[in-house]
Amino acid sequence: MKSPIHFQRPCSADAVQDLVRQSLSNNSFLHIFGGNSKARLGRRIDGPSKVDMSGLNELVSYEPDEMVLVVQPGMRLSAVEQLLDHENQQLAFEPPHWGPGATVGGTVACNLSGPRRFKAGALRDHLLGVEFVNGHGERVRSGGKVVKNVTGYDLSKIISGSFGTLGIMTEICLRVWPRSETQKTLVIYDQDPATALESMLDFAASPCEITGLSYLPNFDGQPAQTFARLEGSAPSLAPQLKKLGGSIEREMQILEEGESMEYWKKLRELEFFRPTSNEQLWRFSLPPSKAAGLLDVLLPQGVRRFGFDWGGGLLCAILPNDIEASPLHQYAIRHGGVAWRFASDEQDCNDAAFTPLSAGEARMNRILKEAFDPKRIFNPSKI
Amino acid sequence: MQLPQPRIERLQRREEVVYRLQEVLRPDQVIHRPEDLVAYECDALSVYRQCPMAVVLPASTEDVSAVLRTCSDTGIPIVPWGAGTGLSGGALPLEDGIVVSLARMNRILDIDRRNRTATVQPGVTNLGVTHAVADFGFYYAPDPSSQLACTIGGNIAENSGGVHCLKYGTTTNNVLGLEVVAADGEAVRIGGQGMDCAGYDLLGLLTGSEGLLGIITEATLRILPKPELARAMMAVFDRVETAGQAVAEIIAAGMVPAGMEIMDRLSIEAVEDFVGAGYPRGAEALLLVELDGPASEVEHQVGLLEDLLHQNGATELRKARSEAERLKLWAGRKAAFPAMGRVSPDYYCMDGTIPRGRLPEVLRRIQELSEEYGLRVANVFHAGDGNLHPLVLYDSGTSGELERAEELGAEILKLCVRVGGVLSGEHGIGIEKRDLMPCMFTDADLDTQERIKSGFDSHHLLNPGKVFPVLRRCAEGGRMHVHKGELRFAELERF
Repeated sequence: MKSPIHFQRPCSADAVQDLVRQSLSNNSFLHIFGGNSKARLGRRIDGPSKVDMSGLNELVSYEPDEMVLVVQPGMRLSAVEQLLDHENQQLAFEPPHWGPGATVGGTVACNLSGPRRFKAGALRDHLLGVEFVNGHGERVRSGGKVVKNVTGYDLSKIISGSFGTLGIMTEICLRVWPRSETQKTLVIYDQDPATALESMLDFAASPCEITGLSYLPNFDGQPAQTFARLEGSAPSLAPQLKKLGGSIEREMQILEEGESMEYWKKLRELEFFRPTSNEQLWRFSLPPSKAAGLLDVLLPQGVRRFGFDWGGGLLCAILPNDIEASPLHQYAIRHGGVAWRFASDEQDCNDAAFTPLSAGEARMNRILKEAFDPKRIFNPSKI
Repeated sequence: MQLPQPRIERLQRREEVVYRLQEVLRPDQVIHRPEDLVAYECDALSVYRQCPMAVVLPASTEDVSAVLRTCSDTGIPIVPWGAGTGLSGGALPLEDGIVVSLARMNRILDIDRRNRTATVQPGVTNLGVTHAVADFGFYYAPDPSSQLACTIGGNIAENSGGVHCLKYGTTTNNVLGLEVVAADGEAVRIGGQGMDCAGYDLLGLLTGSEGLLGIITEATLRILPKPELARAMMAVFDRVETAGQAVAEIIAAGMVPAGMEIMDRLSIEAVEDFVGAGYPRGAEALLLVELDGPASEVEHQVGLLEDLLHQNGATELRKARSEAERLKLWAGRKAAFPAMGRVSPDYYCMDGTIPRGRLPEVLRRIQELSEEYGLRVANVFHAGDGNLHPLVLYDSGTSGELERAEELGAEILKLCVRVGGVLSGEHGIGIEKRDLMPCMFTDADLDTQERIKSGFDSHHLLNPGKVFPVLRRCAEGGRMHVHKGELRFAELERF
């Protein structure tokens, strides 16, 4: 018989440390969650004890002049963005929310980055430091509150993208970035995927300030569209747009600031990739030039909808629900990339969530798990 | 600084170790005659010197694996070596160990324009990458001052920075894939040409791990399109604090210049005497700012920047009107360290980073410390990211002055940590700042790091004695010592 789920909601770092120590002493597991907006990532966790991080939701410090923000992990991403917006700043990695409850901690745990990733770096590139409680029940600090820092191993990077399996974060320090004065997006119509990819690769190699490159094929009567976002000061954008559009012999359009922002937000939030109950969503991250090749392999598998982001470095695809996962991961590996399978719903155990590691990588991953969480109390089975 | 004590039983097996290395490598790949080993007795932190038992020059990943297996079998410690230009003693050899020099693994393996990557062996120099991709209109962003000589392998081990970090990040933000040979000789590939890698962020862990977790045998680097335009200007201020405030205003205005550098009066004078960069003599501070990007954007920002600098106390502004003028402005800054060698017989170089806003208070305190200790301190720093390089001037010929300089240096680094900064911004911990680690980290912090080390290298054969303090207390550390301008790699720019 299943034991009842026990919820805990720590409101301080000390409380987090206490509950980790308790868990260690009574050999129980902890399922850590923030806003539950990223629950579709990773394998299902069947832990009896849930740790709700929404109690650690405070702003610790924000110094716009230092371009540094320190928050507790349960702070809502939307609240952070609102705060930064007042100072004309932003999180340059453009994190996806995937739900109103999205928290900074959850975003860090998934190392999630949006369309600007290929230009501005991933979340992990903007993470300056973390404080966390490890699986020994110790409070640990790594990194700092400055951009340039080579003091000791960079544990912050290991924590980011670890899906909560190495510790419970209690404080997060992020680098923030000025928001560009404005943005515009060039839209090119009717390119086929391979041609669109070539355009995106050319654009990415140009010295223009391009901060978004994506492609959506024709769908529901809409023509195929290739998108290139430019950000900067108003007077600087026109000459750059002219340069980009100059080499393209297709119908084109320019999205002004408002429309441009709306499109990239929709893309970031995966609004073009909403699977129905008999479909599943896959996300392939790979060398940009390989995107068209991977697509060619996927199309015969019954791709219902797809799109490129990150200038081709990201391929999102909706596939039929009955498709076998393991060949898809093999395709990802063969194209030099990795894949995520999104869980369909809460019942989906999502065992094939991640592309398997090589033997050598797996060994190094085990070493890290052993060093941080030898009793395997955090998010068991998540990755 | 306490160097690791050589173990007699290892020293006694020197001949056997050389023999076993010769079995797995060609004879010319094993250096073991004492006269040939001298070249490897120190890196650029040259006050600490020790000759290794042997130096090996692997030519392939298989060679590196064979060497590490041999060392693992025989229990002999290893110090990985790139170009030996590091400033923190990270490549200081061990008397009872061997040095693994990656100098012969110096090939560019692949340049992929479409994916904007360069795949190189670890012995390729930093500038060699930029040279290899320049024809395609690309460059490699991290630009440590020793970039002419320092290697990519060393850059990755140290997570090297440079003057453009604020905008383009350090090495860790520019590495996409690695091949690394673990302590037991197994080669593992991590990441590749894509933007995500599977599992935990091993790239992030290995970059900056100072050769303690494995030997890098191949790296795939992100290369960037060369900016269309770079514009530099120099602003003169009557106080260093005012220059610092101007930097804060530039950031607050939403600009992210490619580089921002401040020099104080002592540095300006020394540089003018040395290279005549055209800096204003008698000025208390100068700020160099460089903007880069699309021409239309840079032209727009240059105007805004001029206004900002005037509004924030610049008494004089000079814009570089040509590429030659731009390079001349930088030439002075890049000559700051060697110039100090002419002002003082010796100097120590520190490398702390502080939150920018604490600059006035830190500078004031450094000035007070300078007076207390009776030693001059020149200040040059990467103002954009708060990375300070105070240079403590002293004379090792005067009894007790070296010790005073060391104490003063340690006080400055502790001050950096106290105001919320860190011990090292870009030079690494190595042996130099090892014993200051407890000033910044608790026992639990260090235990967590050392557990990783033990997992990767259970016999502690990879670069032992570096990074982690021998004793867990906040001790006095050494710094980069330079005597009579005899900087090792004196020909390299140091900034």
